[in-house]
Amino acid sequence: MAFAPMGPEASFFEVLDRHRESLLAALRRGGQEPPSGGSRVASSSEVLVSIENIIQDIITSLARNEAPAFTIDNRSSWENIKFEDSVGLQMVSHCTTRKIKSDSPKSVKKFALILKILSMIYKLVQSNTYATKRDIYYTDSQLFGNQTVVDNIINDISCMLKVSRRSLHILSTSKGLIAGNLRYIEEDGTKVNCTCGATAVAVPSNIQGIRNLVTDAKFVLIVEKDATFQRLLDDNFCNKLSPCIMITGKGVPDLNTRLLVKKLWDTFHVPVFTLVDADPHAGIEIMCIYKYGSMSMSFEAHHLTVPAIRWLGLLPSDLKRLNVPKDSLIPLTNRDQMKLDSILRRPYVTCQPFWRKEMEIMADSKMKAEIQALTFLSSDYLSRVYLPNKLKFGGWI
Amino acid sequence: MEGTAVAVFEILRFLLIHWKCDIDVSKGALLEGQLEISIEGLHSKHQANALHCVTTIASAGSLFGGMVLKKFLKEIQSILPGISAKLTWTSEEGSYPQDMTGVTPFQMNFEVDEKPRTLMTDCLFIKHFLRKIIMVHPKVRFNFSVKVNGILSTEIFEVENEPTLNLGNGIALVVDSQHYVRPNFGTIESHCSRIHPVLGHPVILFIPEDMDGMDLLGELILTPAAALCPSPKVSSNQLNRIYSVSIFLYGPLGLPLILSTWEQPMTTFFKDTSSLIDWKKYHLCMVPNLDLNLDRDLVLPDVSYRAESSEGDQSHNMDPQGQTLLLFLFVDFHSAFPVQQMEIWGVYTLLTTHLSAILVESHSVVQGSIQFTVDQVLEQHHQAAKAQQKLQASLSVAVNSIMSILTGSTRSSFRKMCLQTLQAADTQEFGTKLHKVFREITQHQFLHHCSCEMKQQLTLEKKDSAQGTEDVPDNSSRELLADTNGQAENKRLKRGSLRMEEMRALHSARAPSPSEAAPRRPEATAAPLTPSGRAAFKAHGRALAPGRVSLGSRLEDVLWLQEVSNLSEWLSPSPGP
Repeated sequence: MAFAPMGPEASFFEVLDRHRESLLAALRRGGQEPPSGGSRVASSSEVLVSIENIIQDIITSLARNEAPAFTIDNRSSWENIKFEDSVGLQMVSHCTTRKIKSDSPKSVKKFALILKILSMIYKLVQSNTYATKRDIYYTDSQLFGNQTVVDNIINDISCMLKVSRRSLHILSTSKGLIAGNLRYIEEDGTKVNCTCGATAVAVPSNIQGIRNLVTDAKFVLIVEKDATFQRLLDDNFCNKLSPCIMITGKGVPDLNTRLLVKKLWDTFHVPVFTLVDADPHAGIEIMCIYKYGSMSMSFEAHHLTVPAIRWLGLLPSDLKRLNVPKDSLIPLTNRDQMKLDSILRRPYVTCQPFWRKEMEIMADSKMKAEIQALTFLSSDYLSRVYLPNKLKFGGWI
Repeated sequence: MEGTAVAVFEILRFLLIHWKCDIDVSKGALLEGQLEISIEGLHSKHQANALHCVTTIASAGSLFGGMVLKKFLKEIQSILPGISAKLTWTSEEGSYPQDMTGVTPFQMNFEVDEKPRTLMTDCLFIKHFLRKIIMVHPKVRFNFSVKVNGILSTEIFEVENEPTLNLGNGIALVVDSQHYVRPNFGTIESHCSRIHPVLGHPVILFIPEDMDGMDLLGELILTPAAALCPSPKVSSNQLNRIYSVSIFLYGPLGLPLILSTWEQPMTTFFKDTSSLIDWKKYHLCMVPNLDLNLDRDLVLPDVSYRAESSEGDQSHNMDPQGQTLLLFLFVDFHSAFPVQQMEIWGVYTLLTTHLSAILVESHSVVQGSIQFTVDQVLEQHHQAAKAQQKLQASLSVAVNSIMSILTGSTRSSFRKMCLQTLQAADTQEFGTKLHKVFREITQHQFLHHCSCEMKQQLTLEKKDSAQGTEDVPDNSSRELLADTNGQAENKRLKRGSLRMEEMRALHSARAPSPSEAAPRRPEATAAPLTPSGRAAFKAHGRALAPGRVSLGSRLEDVLWLQEVSNLSEWLSPSPGP
C-alpha cells in the first residue's frame, strides 16, 4: 500500500513488532473462539418478530387476568458480571433479573416507556430508518423525563432481545475522532482517508457498515482527551511516528468509538495503547472501559472490549522517573482515593500486577497528574520525546 | 336527657373504668364482654302521666373477673350518692360458683319515674352512647331492650368481626364507614367501605389556673385522629370536597365524653369553627351544623360543622356528595404512677365540665396537632389522586404502544392471534378491550387507602383482612397510643414525658409547672369537682326541667352538642365528700 514514507526507521518499531507477534501468538493459543452470549447482529425481520412476540406475551397475560411484566437482566449488578481475560467484563449466562411490573406503582411508568420505545423501534426497523438515542428522547421529552431514562431502556431492550443496538436501528451519537494511517469505505459508499493532516476525521456512526479498511499502522494510540489529541495533531505526531493510528473518544468513549477500536483490533491485530492522565477517575477508568468494558454494557462486551490494550502512559512511575515537579501534580481527593480503591478491587486488576503496582504508587504518593504535566520539560516533550521513547523501548504495561 | 339516661351513663362509665382497670391496662388488651341493659316502664302510681321505669344493667359472662361485688356496690354508690331511684344489687357475692375464675355475673337495677317522652329521649341518648362506646371498644356488646306497657323493643349493639384500627392503649377504632356516614347512591362504586384514619401528634392539654381543686398527678394528653368518609377509591379521579365535619370526643380509656353543657348549642370553644382547624387553608368556610337527628343508627358526632359556599350562601349548594371529615379527639390521662380508678373518674368529670375551657387554654397546641393531622389526611388523598393520574397516563401509553405495533404489523398471524386472545372482532374493539383489561388488572394495586378492598381477585399484599384488626400505620404519629405491651407502657410514658417536657418548655409561661401540677392528688374516695363546675352544673340542672323539648325540635336536634351534667352533682343536693 502506498503511503508517503514518513516516520522513523523500521528499527524503531522492532519492539512493537515483537509485541504484536506475542499478541498474535496469544490469540492463536486462545483459539479465537467466537463470542458467546451477549448481543448479536439481528436481521430486521428477526427484530420485528421478537417485538411481536413480546406483545403476544403481554396480551396472553392480560387474557389470563395476570398483570404483564418485563423480565430484565440486572445489567449493572456485579453479581451478574464475570471477568474473562480474553473478553473482559461480561454478563454471566444465568444472571439475576428484575421484573418491571405493570401493576406496581413504582414500575408502571417504566413498563409503559419500554413499550413506547419498543413501538418506536418497531417503526424504525419496519421503515429501515435510524434514529439516535437523543432523537428518541426528543420525540416526547416530557414523557421520558430525561435522556438517561431513554438510554437505560434502550440498553435494557438490547439486552432483553439479545440484539445489538444497531440492530434496533438506534444509533449512538459519535463524538470520537480518528487520524492516521487508515482508510475505509462507509456504508453509503463514502471513502474516508484518515491520513494525518491538520484535522481529524469523526468516528463514523455506522461502524458495522464500514468496509474495505486498509492500514499499515504499527500501533493504535487511544488518547483520552481531545486536548491531548489535538496537541499531537498539531505536533504532526501521526507523520512523525507513521504509520500509526490515533483515536480519541474525548473522555468516556461512546459506543461507536469503542466499536471502531474493536474493529481495528479484530481486523488488523495492531497493538493498541492508551495515553491517559495518571488519574483514577478519568484516565485509569477510561482505559479500563476500552480494555475490559463497562458494567452497564457488559452484555455487549464481546463487541466492545479489547483486552489486548496496553497502558502506555502517563504512568504514575513516570512522574517520579521524569522528576515531574510537585507543582505540576495534583493531590488526590477523597473521591479519587475511593475510586482508586474500587478499581483495585476489580477482578481484572488481579491479573495485571504492573497496573496494580502503578495504582499503588499513585495511592502511596497521593498525587495525580495530567498528561499536560509533561510540558514542564518542553511544550512538545510528549510527542517529541516521551511517546517515541515509550514506543521504541516498550514502555507499556 | 333525664335521670334514666344519666344514670345509665354514669353506671356504664363506672363499670367500664372498673373493668378496664381491673385488666392490666399496660397490656393494652381490648375490653371484651357483654352487658345487658333493659328498661321496663309501667304506669307510675306516684306521678300522673309518668312511667315508673326500672332499669336493669347486667353482665352476661365473664366480665368482672375478680371483682368484689360488695366493694363495687359501695364504690358505685359513693359515686352516685343521690340517685333518686333505688340502686340495688341483685347478685350476692358467693352466690355464684367460685371455681369459675373471672366469671362473676352481676345484675343491678334502679328505678325512676319519667314522662314517656322523656323516656323516649333518654333511650335515644342511651343508644347513641352505646354506639359511641362500641366504636372504640369493638369487643364489647350491649343488649338494649325497652319494654313499655308490655311492648318490647330490643336492639343489639355490637361490631364483632368488623374491621378496626388498633390505636393502642386498649382501644381500637371501628373503620367501617357506614357507621359514620350514610353512603349516597352512586358513591358505593367509587368509594372504599372503610375509613383510613391518620393519627396525629399527641399534645399536652393545659388546665386553666383558675380551675383549682383539680389536682392531677399526671398529664392530659389529646391525640387527634382524622379520616375522610367515605374514603374515595383511588380509582376515582375525583377528590370530592369536604362537605361536613364530624367531631367525636372521647375521654380516658376510650369512654365517650358527654359534656356538661349539652344543652347549649356549641360550647365556647367549638362555636368558633376555626378553633380547631384553619379552614381557609382548604378554601372552605365552616359553620356549626345544628341539624342533627337523634333518631339515626349512625354514630352521632358530638360537634358537627357544615361547609358553606364562600359567598356565605346558606342554601347548601356545596356538593352533598362530598365527604365528611371525621375528627376523633381522644383525651387520655397519663401518669408516672399507677392510675387509680377514682383518678380516672375525676379526670373524666373534669373533662365533662371543663373541656371547653381546657381546649381554649391549650388552643395553639390543639389546633396545631389537629391541623397537621388533617393536612396529612388530605395530603394522602391528594397523593393518591396524583398516583392514579400517573397510572392512567402510563396505561394510555402502554395501550397506544401495543396498538401501534398491532396495527403496523404485516404479519397476519400475529394480528389474528392478538385479536383472538382478547376476543375482539377488529382492532378498534381490541383497543377498547385492551384498555379495559389493563385498567381492571392494575387498579387494585393503586387503591392507596383501599388495600383492604376485596373486590379484585388478583393477589395483593393485604394490609388487613375484612375481619381483622390492623395497627396504626407506621407513617402516623402515634407516640402515645400505638404501644400495647407492658414494657411499652413505661416507654410510652417516658417518651411522652420527653415530649411533654418539650411542650412544657414551649408553654412554660402559660402552663402550670410540673412541680405545681404533679404532687397534688385528688381525694381518694370521691371525684372532686370544682366549685365552678358544681355551680355550672346546678344551673344546667335547674334549666333542665323547664327546658324539656320534644323530639324533632331544634333543641332536641342539638342534644349531642350539649354537655350533660355530672350525675352525682345532679342527684346530690349536698356538697361532695
